[in-house]
Amino acid sequence: MTAHTAAPHMAARDMEAPGVRIRDLTVVYKTPSGELPAVRGVDIALAPGTITGVVGESGSGKSTLALSLLNAVQPPGRIAAGSVEIDGLGDVLTLRGEDLRRARGRQVGYVFQAAQNSLNPLKTIGKQLLDLGRSHDVEDLRALVRDAKDLLARMGMDGARVLDSYQHELSGGMRQRVGIMLALVLNAKVVVLDEPTTALDMITQATILRIIREVHEERALTTLVITHDVGAVAEVADSLAVMYGGRVVEHGPVTEVLGDARHPYTQGLIRAIPRLTGDLSLARALPGRPPTLGTLPKQGCVFRERCERRMDVCETDEPMSVNRDGRTVACHATDRHLTLVKRKEFV
Amino acid sequence: MTHAVPGRPRVGAIARKVGGHLVRGLAMIWVVATISFVIIREIPGNPVLGQYESLIQKGMSPEQAERATAVLYGFLPTGNLWEQYVGYMGSLLHLDLGRSLSTPGVEVTTLIGHAARWTVLPVLAGTLLSFLLGVTMGVYAAIKRSGKLGDMLALSGSLLHGVPVYVIGLLLTAIFATLWPIMPSGGPVDVEFVPGFNAGYIGSLVHHAVLPVVTYTLASYGGWILAMKSNVVAVLGDDFILAAELRGLRRGFVFRYLARNAILPLFTILALSIGMLFGGSIFIEQIFNYPGLGLLLVNSISSRDYALMGGTFLVITVGIVVANIAADLLYTVIDPRVRSGGAA
Repeated sequence: MTAHTAAPHMAARDMEAPGVRIRDLTVVYKTPSGELPAVRGVDIALAPGTITGVVGESGSGKSTLALSLLNAVQPPGRIAAGSVEIDGLGDVLTLRGEDLRRARGRQVGYVFQAAQNSLNPLKTIGKQLLDLGRSHDVEDLRALVRDAKDLLARMGMDGARVLDSYQHELSGGMRQRVGIMLALVLNAKVVVLDEPTTALDMITQATILRIIREVHEERALTTLVITHDVGAVAEVADSLAVMYGGRVVEHGPVTEVLGDARHPYTQGLIRAIPRLTGDLSLARALPGRPPTLGTLPKQGCVFRERCERRMDVCETDEPMSVNRDGRTVACHATDRHLTLVKRKEFV
Repeated sequence: MTHAVPGRPRVGAIARKVGGHLVRGLAMIWVVATISFVIIREIPGNPVLGQYESLIQKGMSPEQAERATAVLYGFLPTGNLWEQYVGYMGSLLHLDLGRSLSTPGVEVTTLIGHAARWTVLPVLAGTLLSFLLGVTMGVYAAIKRSGKLGDMLALSGSLLHGVPVYVIGLLLTAIFATLWPIMPSGGPVDVEFVPGFNAGYIGSLVHHAVLPVVTYTLASYGGWILAMKSNVVAVLGDDFILAAELRGLRRGFVFRYLARNAILPLFTILALSIGMLFGGSIFIEQIFNYPGLGLLLVNSISSRDYALMGGTFLVITVGIVVANIAADLLYTVIDPRVRSGGAA
């Protein structure tokens, strides 16, 4: 193990951001009525150096997807199929034991939701940082502390003071920044943020999003942001994946997906956002309820129950993900519509 | 990380906290002493006056009877209640608890001191042993909770928790002193040994202490294992454990995070159990014929030895008050959230 690499911002420019390719990922949860899929056949690639946002309602499988990147799906869940390839690391899902432990933290950083307490309440942040360093055989712990202070200062905090604090002495926004620091201090190049702005006030949300964007660029990271807040994603992400019922139903560059949504679910999501100006009643909620593991349809399209464009084929056949000009959509109706448009142009 | 940060406890703050505890503790002890004084004076049959009158009936002069009663109870039976109270409190300040009735002429403090020897060590050993055992097994029961081992451990805890201490004691005596007599059936030590620091005497002491200590350990083990198991399960569900794993912390670190957070609430119970120790364990001392504080208390009640009763109660009170203070101060040391005063 080499010692800790020196100044983080210098290292960033030299190193290429790694790409991440998730292929055919299926995660099932054991329930009384058998194993049910929380994530099913997800194919998604995180381009090196980009921020990918994943949005979806509660229970859409987005957190399970995030945990899969660290091969950390908690029982009763189990990764049933697929692979998660990270450049320089290989397939994370084949890692076991010590190899997996070393990859976590050093190669892939994970940032918890701020409102959740991701820090040991009985130890100062500094001591937890040292535990982290020792766990990853960092020889120069002084340099590690220096890096941590730099990172915290970078995020607008007094590093020395924060390291000497206990979790309960920090606010939600401060804890979130400490979480980001702990995910980055070992120079992880792939960072997963699970609901990074949930339960924070608006101003702190904006600060955290700005920090994510800045640190991402400075350190040349490949970042995955999980959220249910479409607004947050719009602000920070380069590309956007929309999840529903364990499936990625639409994926593409964030401006295109939000500006010209093709999947009926994405369209519904965007219509449901209340505008800052204009009538509040213009925001229309999607009819129906999001599916749970138990109510997911066994065949056909997972969204058809709430879809205004459902067709007969949606009852029986699951729509395939179709890639068209850099955008992926899994919908029979969209597929047919676009095909028709193409044909007309052709004729 | 060496420099001081505002919000850390300073010596002054700690001294103030300890001072506050001491004042409250003394007030508590004073209240209990007052109540026990009033009860002894006011219960039907008034033992103090009864003693005084029975001495006169035995042919003593009123002055002699008064003096004799004063010696027994530590306060004068005559005069108004207030004067007597002041006298009683005065002798308490000199740690004078009066003289025993059932063992005439012997000071209560001496009796309690003798009995404490037979209570404190075995009960302390039992408490600490059951704590260590219960906590360790509780961690295993929680981690292996979906397996057979976890089920067995939890079951053992529930069963032992439900069985009364005297049943365990009687069973152990029946098995190890009667059926398969490898242990003495009772008493604190064999009389043939000369008391002192010699191998025979110490060996006999330990031999006699085994069954009481084991009984005490088994009786309280169930509570510890169940409490620890539920604490560990709760902490396992906390996000910082998963977060620690996702940061790639070594298993040893994760385990320490888990154990320290889970054991924290148990320290209060442990401190209180150690405080309760001065009440002795009535059943165990009765079964094993151990002349400890529990037996002393029972005997003082049955022989209406009110001075001894009051003294024993007072010792129990002091024990619990001190344990409470100790528990509170212990928390200040081990839990940073308590240290800085209030959760965020």
